[in-house]
Amino acid sequence: MAWKFDNPLVSLADDQQNAAARGVWEGESLGGITEDNNRLPVPVVGLLILTIVTSFLVTFPLWGQRPTAALYEDYIALMDSPQVQALPDDAKRMQYIVDTVRAKGTAKQPQLDRHPLSMDDLRLIQGQVVELQRQGARMEEFTVLGNRLVLANFEGNWRADGTRERVQPWWDKGYTIDVFYIIAFCVSVIVVVKRLPPYTWQPKHKH
Amino acid sequence: MLKYLFSKEEDIPPGTAAIFFGFSSIVWFVLGTGLGSFNAAKLAFPDFVTGIELLSFGHMRQVHVLAVILGWISMAFAMTMMYITPALGNTKLWSEKLGVWNCFLWNIGLGLGLFLLWNGVSSGREYSDMPWFIDLVVIFGVLFPLGINVWMTIKNRRTQGIYTTNWFFGAATFMVIVVFLVGNMPEFFNLTGLTEAYLTWWFAHNVLGLWITPVAAAISYYVVPKVTGNPLYSHRIGHLHFWSVVVFYSTPAAHHLMSAPLPEWLKSFASVEGVLILVPAIAFVSNLLLTMHGKWRMFVENVEIKYTITGVLLAIPLNMQGGFQQTRAINWYVHGTGWIVAHAHLALLGFSTFLEAAAVYYGLQVLLRRKVYSLSLANFHFWMLLIGFSTYWISMTIAGLIQGAGKIYEVPYIDVVIAEHPYMIARWVGGTMVFIGNVVWMYNMWMTARAGTPIPAGRLPHELAYER
Repeated sequence: MAWKFDNPLVSLADDQQNAAARGVWEGESLGGITEDNNRLPVPVVGLLILTIVTSFLVTFPLWGQRPTAALYEDYIALMDSPQVQALPDDAKRMQYIVDTVRAKGTAKQPQLDRHPLSMDDLRLIQGQVVELQRQGARMEEFTVLGNRLVLANFEGNWRADGTRERVQPWWDKGYTIDVFYIIAFCVSVIVVVKRLPPYTWQPKHKH
Repeated sequence: MLKYLFSKEEDIPPGTAAIFFGFSSIVWFVLGTGLGSFNAAKLAFPDFVTGIELLSFGHMRQVHVLAVILGWISMAFAMTMMYITPALGNTKLWSEKLGVWNCFLWNIGLGLGLFLLWNGVSSGREYSDMPWFIDLVVIFGVLFPLGINVWMTIKNRRTQGIYTTNWFFGAATFMVIVVFLVGNMPEFFNLTGLTEAYLTWWFAHNVLGLWITPVAAAISYYVVPKVTGNPLYSHRIGHLHFWSVVVFYSTPAAHHLMSAPLPEWLKSFASVEGVLILVPAIAFVSNLLLTMHGKWRMFVENVEIKYTITGVLLAIPLNMQGGFQQTRAINWYVHGTGWIVAHAHLALLGFSTFLEAAAVYYGLQVLLRRKVYSLSLANFHFWMLLIGFSTYWISMTIAGLIQGAGKIYEVPYIDVVIAEHPYMIARWVGGTMVFIGNVVWMYNMWMTARAGTPIPAGRLPHELAYER
């Protein structure tokens, strides 16, 4: 098991080892089957890199986040205002609320666009939102599930006061483990294939 | 078979165990898909066979699933291991007698297990439904003897190198034993709650990922170079495929439980790994398709290549679906719907079944020394399988999307049932086509054994012209 590190991207085995491997490769019949020594085609390498990048991009919790109670606080604050009450029907009332919050400007606007509500939906959660506000609850930790507000099942870091964070971060230690895992995998496979004769050599099969 | 159980090792002709496994697998395939067709009929026509408890859907669903996984797929695997492993090592099977006993115990154990399941003796856990004592029979009477035969045959090979297929065979037989031992712990040690849920899906995921997927792929690494005569395109890509299966397929089990209160970091970890199953898939598909270089006419003309390459091509939608349907954004929509049933059939009835069928077609011809009886019947089987499976897959995918919409928008359940009814009928039609095709296959292989054209010594089946 001699190793050679002078040209690691070509081969990690010494000349003697490579010569022995070539001899076996060309001379041996594996039940009548032979193998070539081609490298992974460059477009396929690109596809693998794209896959690794994509695996992180599509799994961030951002894309699958449920609407939280915090999202609708501004809506609910406007619900009982005289301007809204003066409007003739629910569709116009809801439109007024959405337009007003949008005009005021909020960082939650993209999420509000993804999770639209009707006036009836708002009425169903209004009481629960007001009650949580009265208790001083962290509104972003409550998920709107149909007509109910429930504490998100995410269990994050412990806070100093003994409670736990209930908001999904865009990154957590699962992703960190993935990064190390993928690096270890790539390094291991590269080492394994670089112990073979360089891909510039192709066997001349005798069987 | 009974004759060989008590014969001396040297009196058992080479290939005996593989032939028994081959025909057993076909019989289980016919039974399994027959049950599947019956179950699908109950979903399509709710008044079909009512009032008999033992013929109710709840009693029969898991019998269909496990007859197909442990009967058809796994016995076809055992068959291929018993003839390919020694062939690749230029040697004979380590023990034909162990192989024959293995096949005998496998059929008895599976028959007993399915009988108990049918009568309602069940762990209640999907895919690992068998009661714990049958799990022990599967581990020590079925998988362990198979592993011993495979490992010892590889150890006693008369080659210096080990071909890619045999890496997969050796590793998969080891990994599946670990999967059965660990995955059934909830029953062995009465584990409950989240631990039970996680281990249930750890088992289900890894039976697919560390047993069915790698062994099916390993078969194609043998069939394509052997039948086309081309060298495998790349030994190096074989390494990438093998290690990426071990690393990326063994880890995403938590993605089956994305809405359960498992630790979120575990879901994040599993979800990334879930997308990364595309790495072995890309390596596998590219290696096999590039091996076909210059021989694509065989995709039309040769039965084994037709089945194998169809299976390889189905790996593309399989892994695209599998990789992305488990992400948070998509899973909340498709989880618990027919979409997942469609995906499971894409894996087991699409991708893997076509590869196993190729190996059984090829292996039985080699071992019986007879050319397949009828090309026409083989082609009929192929098209019934492909059209039947496609009908099933597409209809259930659509039904799943309807169910997902119904779930998200809180449509009354009965309205969803009505909306998906046409697709349940299509599902039954597709499944029944598969069943009929398999009956024809069984006849064709039976006739191959009895009346197939003998293959002269020194020749291989694909070198002879088809006669019918």
